[in-house]
Amino acid sequence: MQKVNENRVLVVLLAASAVTMVMLGAFDPATSGGFPPCPVRYLTGWYCPGCGSLRAMHQLLHGNLRAAWAMNPLTVVLLPFLTYGLASFALFEIRGRGLPQPLLRAVWIRALCAAIILFGIARNLSLYPFDLLAPGAMLHL
Amino acid sequence: MFCSQCGANNADTAAVCVQCGRNLQVATATTPLQSTGVVLPPGATVQNYLVFAILATVFCCLPAGIPAIIYAAQVNSKLQAGDLAGAQAASNNAKMWCLISLGLGLGSIVLYGVLIMAGVLSGIHQH
Repeated sequence: MQKVNENRVLVVLLAASAVTMVMLGAFDPATSGGFPPCPVRYLTGWYCPGCGSLRAMHQLLHGNLRAAWAMNPLTVVLLPFLTYGLASFALFEIRGRGLPQPLLRAVWIRALCAAIILFGIARNLSLYPFDLLAPGAMLHL
Repeated sequence: MFCSQCGANNADTAAVCVQCGRNLQVATATTPLQSTGVVLPPGATVQNYLVFAILATVFCCLPAGIPAIIYAAQVNSKLQAGDLAGAQAASNNAKMWCLISLGLGLGSIVLYGVLIMAGVLSGIHQH
């Protein structure tokens, strides 16, 4: 029963992600107002580690790697791993066996966590070169 | 001991294969880990939800993804230490924080939609 519910949640999530991807391909979040702003940015005025990720996805869908990198380098770096992980998860649900995945050492996951937090802090600094990490800043180089 | 799935050489105390994550204890023991009360099907591993934790952090834009990543790390460190029950507990926590993150993300989208609608309606009212 639990399994069925989990699968339903996954199917709904996958469908929602597919719709979001199509929307992201068609509309640029930088210029069209339909996409919700980052809640952290909205409430505090600070950039979070994910700020610019939707704009980066839009640029990637249009093949502009450089613009995507300028919007959110973290998203661009992590995307191949996320895609592989999601594909593995989907295959696991479908055929009961995912893609080969080495068991990541915990220290690597903690390092990634620290990197995400440091990235979030660094892009709020107005100090060169950290200010280049703010969404879109590298476009004006 | 060698993994029955990928052949990697593991420590004899290892709960899961370091190479492919296959559960080694059930595969070798005839009685599944009654001491810890955790029963995994052969070949199963404890899900750490790392992919969803990162997705939540990067796309939900909320700090709730961070504890999910920390619990994902804990799943793997407990697996390495052979603590299947601890890994399962950490896995449940990782999943919970992913769902909290998802809920907060969806909640803020809905709130944003309501605010926009309120703005549109008050705009119409003023005209």
